[in-house]
Amino acid sequence: MTNAPWRILDIDLAEGPRDLAADGSPHLLVLWWRSLPIGTLALARSELPFSAAQLADAAAPMLADQALARTTARHAGEDGAPQEPAGLDAAMSLDVLGQLDAVAAAPPPRADRLSVIVCTRDRPQQLAACLDSLATQAALPGQVVVVDNSGGGSAREICARPGVTYLHEPAPGLSRARNAGLAAARGDLLAFTDDDVELAPSWTQEVVRAFDDVSVDAVTGLVLPARLDTPAQRAFEIDLGGFTSRHFPIRFDSRFLEVTRHMGPQVWRIGAGANMAFRRSVFARLGGFDERLGAGASGCSEDSEFWYRILAAGGVCLYEPRAVVRHHHRSDWQGLRRQLRAYMAGHVAALVAQADRYGHRGNIRRIFRQLPVYFARKAMQAVQNLQGWRLRLLWAEVVGWAIGLTYLLRPRWRRIGRASRSRAASPAATAEVRHA
Amino acid sequence: MAYRLVQLELSQPIPAIPLAPEEDGVGLVARHEGRLVGFRMLPRPAGEGLSAEAVRAVCDAEFALPLAAIRARQTLADRWDLAPASPAPSLSIAICTKDRAARLARLLRSLEAVRGGSSFAGLEILVVDNAPSDESTREAVEAFPDVRYLREPKAGLDFARNAALAAATGDLLAFLDDDVVVDAGWLGGLLRARRACPNAGGFTGLVLPFRLDTEAQVAFESRGGFGRGFMPFEFRTERHGHALHPVGAGVLGAGCNMCFDRRLLLSLGGFDEALDTGAPLPGGGDLDIFYRVLRAGRTMRYEPAYAVYHEHRETLPQLTRQYWTWGLGFMAFLEKARRTDPELRPRHAAMLWWWMFDRLGAIGRSALKGRGQALGFAWAEFKGGLQGMVGEYDRSRRRVQRIREQAA
Repeated sequence: MTNAPWRILDIDLAEGPRDLAADGSPHLLVLWWRSLPIGTLALARSELPFSAAQLADAAAPMLADQALARTTARHAGEDGAPQEPAGLDAAMSLDVLGQLDAVAAAPPPRADRLSVIVCTRDRPQQLAACLDSLATQAALPGQVVVVDNSGGGSAREICARPGVTYLHEPAPGLSRARNAGLAAARGDLLAFTDDDVELAPSWTQEVVRAFDDVSVDAVTGLVLPARLDTPAQRAFEIDLGGFTSRHFPIRFDSRFLEVTRHMGPQVWRIGAGANMAFRRSVFARLGGFDERLGAGASGCSEDSEFWYRILAAGGVCLYEPRAVVRHHHRSDWQGLRRQLRAYMAGHVAALVAQADRYGHRGNIRRIFRQLPVYFARKAMQAVQNLQGWRLRLLWAEVVGWAIGLTYLLRPRWRRIGRASRSRAASPAATAEVRHA
Repeated sequence: MAYRLVQLELSQPIPAIPLAPEEDGVGLVARHEGRLVGFRMLPRPAGEGLSAEAVRAVCDAEFALPLAAIRARQTLADRWDLAPASPAPSLSIAICTKDRAARLARLLRSLEAVRGGSSFAGLEILVVDNAPSDESTREAVEAFPDVRYLREPKAGLDFARNAALAAATGDLLAFLDDDVVVDAGWLGGLLRARRACPNAGGFTGLVLPFRLDTEAQVAFESRGGFGRGFMPFEFRTERHGHALHPVGAGVLGAGCNMCFDRRLLLSLGGFDEALDTGAPLPGGGDLDIFYRVLRAGRTMRYEPAYAVYHEHRETLPQLTRQYWTWGLGFMAFLEKARRTDPELRPRHAAMLWWWMFDRLGAIGRSALKGRGQALGFAWAEFKGGLQGMVGEYDRSRRRVQRIREQAA
């Protein structure tokens, strides 16, 4: 890996042809058709200059796929990939650019119904940038709630700005903070984001628009990298795949849970907690976030565990990439390794919690079969490709996995989950889980 | 074992595909209004054809998205006004052959069929008869007007290619092997590639199977064949996500269908005659020239419409030998690159490691799964590679030097 920072360049293809000159740095092109993100393209240094003809070559399959996805709804099958074939008739008759123009031209809604909840912990500068991006939304949300999860309330000053409700939740844990936020939220749509994220100006509008479909209980969106300056940031985004990678909308429902159930439903493919939203009514039905999970507790996966509950209850999660945020990835290797360790530990904890709650044994099978196979395969690839840095990241994941295993051996921890299952139907469950 | 090769026009009603009792699969070449859209191998129980509905389902799943992409590419090019007004270049087409007059005539007929509609500023066809054992090739060429016949007495494909380079006059010089025939869109595809990238150093194109009548041909195509996909792509000295590029130059295409800026080839000194010598070192010459074009700072463009149909090896021993030549040719090329291009030595070393790992993995997997045929192919390629590693390039250079001296 070379150490030169990468340039992230947004290109709206609807604005006409672009010839990209070489400037000595590798590029990540983020391709758009007006307000629709249609794909990304990574270019090594000498792959530039990049001609308009090459841009057309690379963009054509993305544009076609986008137009087809915006014509008929797609449902996630195994791996979260769509299971419906595109269809020859559609491919032959579809006016791809016309269809995209029509979708992009639909007027965006207001965002008064939306409460935005930002959970933060000791990252004042990044939080300020996040709040700035909220203040410059094309449609301001009805409410902004910042939940400060730091011990000393370090975010209080930054939140002293108009239109921001500040809450202090000193008990550590992202799930606790999120539950505190949703208790204070008034809107009938609740969006969550994190302090290390900057929101695209149309974010609130696109989140609200995604709920136009009344069957949708939860929405997730696209997470782009804010910067690719360091090898660690690029390793996370490009080699590990980042948070989300698809650029077309896709519906996740109980069928998705069914097809992936034998090996542990792959609910993490639904999206990322840094860019998610819910109808308020789902929390009344299903309770709040599981406070045993998430950053500050088990590590992560409180988001995907909640999507799991939605799907298990017959609900629908919609991934809508038009809702775009840009995430600041960890800039140093140590931070990334710590993050991956926490992710894997949290992932295993969530698998245990899901198995306990629903009796779905596939979750346990994933811990003992899929994950070790994944580690072995990635280790082989890293050795074959002489990627020492990949092996070190992998080791962090293996350690996280081992930490996650300890949750299997904690009967009291697991009992809390089982208890919350039986009461999940009552709105009081949130509070009970919190105080258990 | 035999597959029926079917050309399917997607803009027409989709037909059923019946199979004869000895046929146990379909190779489906899909087009839309003549343009190539995709290719798919479909194994079937012997004699059980596909209903129109079944063919339709395959088309929905496999060809709808590529077709929509091709249409989107066209619309975008129109909207962006990408059709450039650059003057058309002249083209020389060189066919190097040895004692295969019937196949050569088949290729020349396919060229006759497309050259009439050519938009190139000039077009010449050269046949290089490489150390022939009789006059059959000359006689075959005489049946075609406007085809130049050359003789290269020094045996070796790259001697013949260099003879063509010395005699050719076009701005572009395209090479075809005698075991292909060209697709109807071959010339137009090459011109389109050149117009999309006027300063490219070279072009490669799609290689589809000419027939799938034997077990070996089906096996080769099922393992991927020469297929490089149906979307154009440009290669430079680096490629994102491929740390070893351009050392694995095989992804660019195959020597049976390639074209270069003739002046660039001259400035590079032509092909390396120690590669592609026929036995005992067949192969490696195309990898070497792709690599050198890229390392000269020039782009190579892959264009699917610039397509040929290749007659794959007919028997399993021939096919096994082909995999052996791949291993051998690749390692000879790697050794040469290591010597002549010190700047990229870390990549050459990493490629050697990667290749050993990859091939041993293939051997291990096919052995574990009890796949004897795949094991045979993997082993042949590995063995060829080992042979290539232990001095084959030097031995070949000495042999070629003797051939030069004998001729002088």
